[in-house]
Formats: sequence, structure tokens, C-alpha cells
Amino acid sequence: MKNLKRILCLALCLMLTLACLPAMAAGSVKIGVLVADATGAEALAFRAYYEKYIAKAYDVEFIYSEELKTADGEKDAIDNFIVNNCKAVISFSSVDRPAQIEQCETAGIYYAVATGTLTDEEYEDFKNYEHYVGAIGPSLNTEFQVGYNMAAYYIDQGMTKFGMFGGAVPYRTDMHIYRAAGMLCAMVDKGGEGAAYQGVNKPDDIIGMIYGTGTIETGKIGNLELLAYVGGYDFDDAWFGKLAQMAGTEGIEAILTVGSGVDVLGSFVAGSSVKLATVDSFTPAMGEAMNSGIIDYVAGKFATSIGPIFIATLNAVNGQPIRNEEGCALALDQGYWVATNAEQFAQYYAVDSSEENPAYSKDILDAYAPAGVSYEDFAAFVAQYSFEEITALKK
Amino acid sequence: MKKPSLIKSLLLSLLIPCAVLLVLEIIALAKGVRLFANTDSWKLFFRAVANVTLTTFALSVNLDSGRFDFSLGAVAMLSATIAGTLSQQWNMGPWLTLAVAVCVAAGLGLIHGGIYVLTRIPPIIVSLGMALFYEGCAFAFTGGKGVSLVTRMDIIGFSQIGNYILVTAVAVMLVVLLLDYTRFGANYRALVSGQKIAVETGIHEVGNALGCYVVSGALMGVVGFIGMANTGSQQMALNFGSIGIMFTAFLPMFIGGWIGRYINKRIGIMLGAVSMALISLAYARFDTASSVQSIISALLLVLFLIYLNNEFAILSKFRKKQGAKA
Repeated sequence: MKNLKRILCLALCLMLTLACLPAMAAGSVKIGVLVADATGAEALAFRAYYEKYIAKAYDVEFIYSEELKTADGEKDAIDNFIVNNCKAVISFSSVDRPAQIEQCETAGIYYAVATGTLTDEEYEDFKNYEHYVGAIGPSLNTEFQVGYNMAAYYIDQGMTKFGMFGGAVPYRTDMHIYRAAGMLCAMVDKGGEGAAYQGVNKPDDIIGMIYGTGTIETGKIGNLELLAYVGGYDFDDAWFGKLAQMAGTEGIEAILTVGSGVDVLGSFVAGSSVKLATVDSFTPAMGEAMNSGIIDYVAGKFATSIGPIFIATLNAVNGQPIRNEEGCALALDQGYWVATNAEQFAQYYAVDSSEENPAYSKDILDAYAPAGVSYEDFAAFVAQYSFEEITALKK
Repeated sequence: MKKPSLIKSLLLSLLIPCAVLLVLEIIALAKGVRLFANTDSWKLFFRAVANVTLTTFALSVNLDSGRFDFSLGAVAMLSATIAGTLSQQWNMGPWLTLAVAVCVAAGLGLIHGGIYVLTRIPPIIVSLGMALFYEGCAFAFTGGKGVSLVTRMDIIGFSQIGNYILVTAVAVMLVVLLLDYTRFGANYRALVSGQKIAVETGIHEVGNALGCYVVSGALMGVVGFIGMANTGSQQMALNFGSIGIMFTAFLPMFIGGWIGRYINKRIGIMLGAVSMALISLAYARFDTASSVQSIISALLLVLFLIYLNNEFAILSKFRKKQGAKA
């Protein structure tokens, strides 16, 4: 019995030691990552860049949260990061950003927003917080513009009849509403004299109308026509039926989607002459869809676009945060890469998916790691987000 | 109780689907919409019939014996993920991919059943664990990317009305045959009626439970494949994101139970699924918001349960009124 107890104690000690080994071997700086989506192509690409490239290139370890859907979930995840001795949190989750920032400030750990921005009011509230690093991502104006450019691309080709997939518009998700509003505004601007959406023609009015109704109304917009609209992510038989109906609507020339275009509509437009455009990411599946002509236009957040917010966060952890002259946190806009043919897509994907030499490689990021990097220099660096500009930076 | 005549049984069996169709056609007429407007409408209808029928069979085969199963959606997802990935790698055609999905799903059902009979943990708990486990397996298997077959026209091309009818007909025939005309089915029905007595008469409940899990799994393999062929992709779900599918099966299961008084219960379930498919079609044709859909579906379920629980009282009152009028 005594021997058995000794063996059990030894086994327990051994297990504890083994459990500690990975933590001891891991990077010296731990960064928690809050995610609202753990399975989307875009989310997986972001994660791969951090875990397969950044974690190896820098002395850091990333701890990921579960897929978060509630403010309570976000709070629990940050508590977990604090217990795990994380020095910073990079957030892809936006259920309750103010609460996240307050919690990190109270705990004394740095907090940064990836692939998004705060509203102007929120920025005013938190810009002076010591532990708020800032936000780098597409602003709502950029989201509006990405939708506008997509619709304009087809209208300029002479197309007049459209379908639209609104994604999370019914759930009042800001970025999807702004993208949809951008599409409608392009139709209003290019729809000829007197063109209006439901009687209004100013962007703010259109945005307000979508927030109010949570849907997009079909109908004529000048000499253009929105023939069909589907929103939401119900994934039930009725919803798939609505999507199939939209793809099969007589006369429809292009379907503009605020996101997930290939996943939800790919099979319904395959083999037809309907053009499909989406806001998504640069993945192999998307490349295949582009090669086979299923998708025609992709505006994508490139996976490495989260490199600058990482280096800004690491700088803060190392005691050299990047602040402007008034000492305020970062608030920088970052846009999309747009591919309109298979060759362009392949070119973007090759650079974006590289694990050895990604778009924002260590060499590029290191230029902004030393102490004393000015806000202006960093802002100028982030503003050079187009594929051509980043490729030039690498040279 | 006097057994109704064959004609009366048939008419009563068709009462609910016909009443649903009538009500929906009236609404469609009022809205100026045609319920079955084109091929897409028929396709939606038959796909919904196939999905709901098979899911309801898969749910009821265990639930009738008190085994609640939350893992149905996860089994469909994991089997479709594995079959879809193999289809990509080996360029398998749709029927072979379907066969692989069914075999994998049956295996997953066997594992689930095996864990239940070995551990004797309450089935609802085991099913929750298995749902999480299978969701995690699917995620790990694809690195979270899921499966994309949008460029595979042969797989997408499976989504045809004829194939949906064929799959549903074969599944209904096999389930009827298995549960109503085999020894396994006789044992199953005996266990459903009274497990203690059935076991005392020598029926092997462990083997029967395992068989039920295998059947349930195989059916969900078909559902998983139909979903994947319809969209050309299999998305991943974590943290019980896959369990929603089982809730589509409750109303047709109860409707099937009611129709089962007049006709074979399995046919009753299919007719319940037809009613649900008509409602799904109406949601799509009337462009009903998802929040409204949820409210209507929940109301229908609650109202039907209220009727079932108070059927005797309701019918007595109705008969009294009829008698008073006479």
C-alpha cells in the first residue's frame, strides 16, 4: 500500500512536470486572442498567421478563446487570459468592446482591436487609457466603400439587374449594414436621374433605413433594379430555398454579397451565367471557385493584415507604446485587397498564405518594433496596405 | 376501440398534410404568390421532405426508447466532412460519396451506442458528450476549414428532385422493413412498450440499442450528404452548434405519432415531414423573416402538444355540441 502511494505520488509529480514543460518551453510573452468566429475561413487564416508565423518569429505564445457570442463569454475569456498571465489581449470579438477595454485596463494588461475599429464616441472614451493600444482595421467608411466599389464594378460593365445577400444585416451587424448600404448607394449614384432607394438617396439616410428595418427592400433604383434579397444565416430548408430562388430569379445578372458568398450561394450559381461577388478571404477553396468561374469578384481581408496590430501590441508590452502627440491610442484604417480574376487571386493568395515569407514578414514588422516609433510613421506604414504597396515594402 | 375502415384510415392519415396544404394555398392566393412556382420550389419541398423524414426517423428510433440524442447534427456533419474530403481526394462520384457518408455515420452511431451501453451513463449526457466530440473531430479533421465541393458539379448535381424522392422512398422502405417486419424490429417494439418485461422474456436490449444507434447514424449520414451536396460545402460547428437540426424533427415526430393511429407510424412520420416541408416552402415563398418563422414553428408545436394532451376533453366537448345540435 505504501509503495502504491509512493508510485502514485511520483506519477502525479511526473504529470505535473510534463504539464508545465510546454508552458516553460513556450514564448516569454503570452497574448490572449478573443475570437467571435473560430471556424470561418478568414478567422482560420488569421490564426494560422499568428500561430504558424508570428509565434515562431517572435518570442510570443498566443492563447485563443473559444468562439464567443456573448459579453459574459468575453469577460470569462479575459479572466482566463489574466489567470494565464497574458500580458495583452488582441480582440476579434465585438459583443461588448467597452467592457473588454475596461476589464483589461483594470487588470493592467494591454488591449488591442484587430480587424475593426471603435466608433468615434468609443474612441473618445478610451483613447487615453494607459493599456488601450488601439485599433487597426477597416473603418465603417471602408466597409461602405468596399460595398460601393463592388456594385459599381458591375454597374460600370452595363449590368442593371441585381440580387443581394445581406448576411448579418438582420442582426444589425455594423460592417454588413455599411457594405450593403455602399452597394445601394452605388446603385443610387449610377442609377440615373432621380434614382433613390425607398425614396432616399443620401448614404446616412440609407444606412439609417437599414438599421431601422433590418432588411433591404427590393425594387427599382432609377434604371437599375434590385430583383431579390436574402439576409440572415438561418441554414434551414426555407433559407436555402430563398437563396436558390434568388439565384434562379429571371433576368438577374449579378448577386452582390456582403460576405460568405461562395459558401451560401456557390452551388446555386454554379453553371449559370449569374456573376457572384463577395467580401471574404483568400483561401484555396475561394481560389478554386474563382478558377471555375463560380465567383467573379472577391474583396478580401488578407490574413497578414493583423501583423501591424500585433507589433503595436508587442511594443506596448515591451514598454514602448505607439501614441500620438496627445498621448492617444492608435485608430488606423486598413482596407481590402480586391481580386477580379483568377490570376490576380492566385498572386494575392501566394503572398498571403506563405508561412515562410508572408505579406507582413518579420523584416517589415521589425522596422516598427524599436522604441520611439512615431504615430505618424506607423500610420503611414499601415496606410500602405494594398498588395502593390506591401510587395514594394518587401523589396 | 373500433378500428376505422381502410378508407377512413387513409383519409385521416392525409388530414394534416392536406389541411396544411389547403391553409397555405389560401394564404398564397391572398398574397398573390404561387406556392409551387418553379423547379426550385419543388426541389426545396422534396429536399425538406427527405431531410425532415430521415432526421425524424433518426431521432425517434432512439427517443421512443427514452434515449435522447443531441449528437444527430454532429454525426451528419462529421460523416459528410469525412466523405466529402475523401471524395475530393479520390474524385469519388456522388453515390459512392453518399455510401461512404452512410457507412461512416453508421460507425459513428455504433461508437456512440457502444459508449452508452458500456458506461451506462444516461443517454442524454452521453449524447451531449458525443456531440461535442464529433464536432471537435470534424474541426480537427479539416483544420477547421470544412469541405468545399462547389466546383464539383457531379456532387452538386445530386440535388435533383428525382434523387430526393429516391432517397426518401428507399429510406422509408428500409426503416419500415427493419422496424416492422424483422425480428430486430419486433424486439425494438417490445422494448419500447416495456423494457423490463421485454428483457425478462429474453430480448437482448444491448444489441438492440446498438442497432438503433447504427440505424440512427446511417440515416444522419444521408442527411449530412444531402446538405453538403445542396450547398457544395460543409461548414464546421463547435460548442453544440450542430444540435439545431434535431429540433426540426419534433413536430413531425408528434404528428407521425398521431397519424400512426391510422396507418404505419413510419409512414405517419413521413406525412408529418411532408407537412413541415410545405411549411418550409411557404416560409421561402412568402419571404418570411426567420424570427417570424421561429415563432410560428414554436406555436405549431405547442398547439399540437396542447391538442394531444387534451384530445379526449376536446373531442368530448365537440361530440356533446354535435349531440345537442342533433
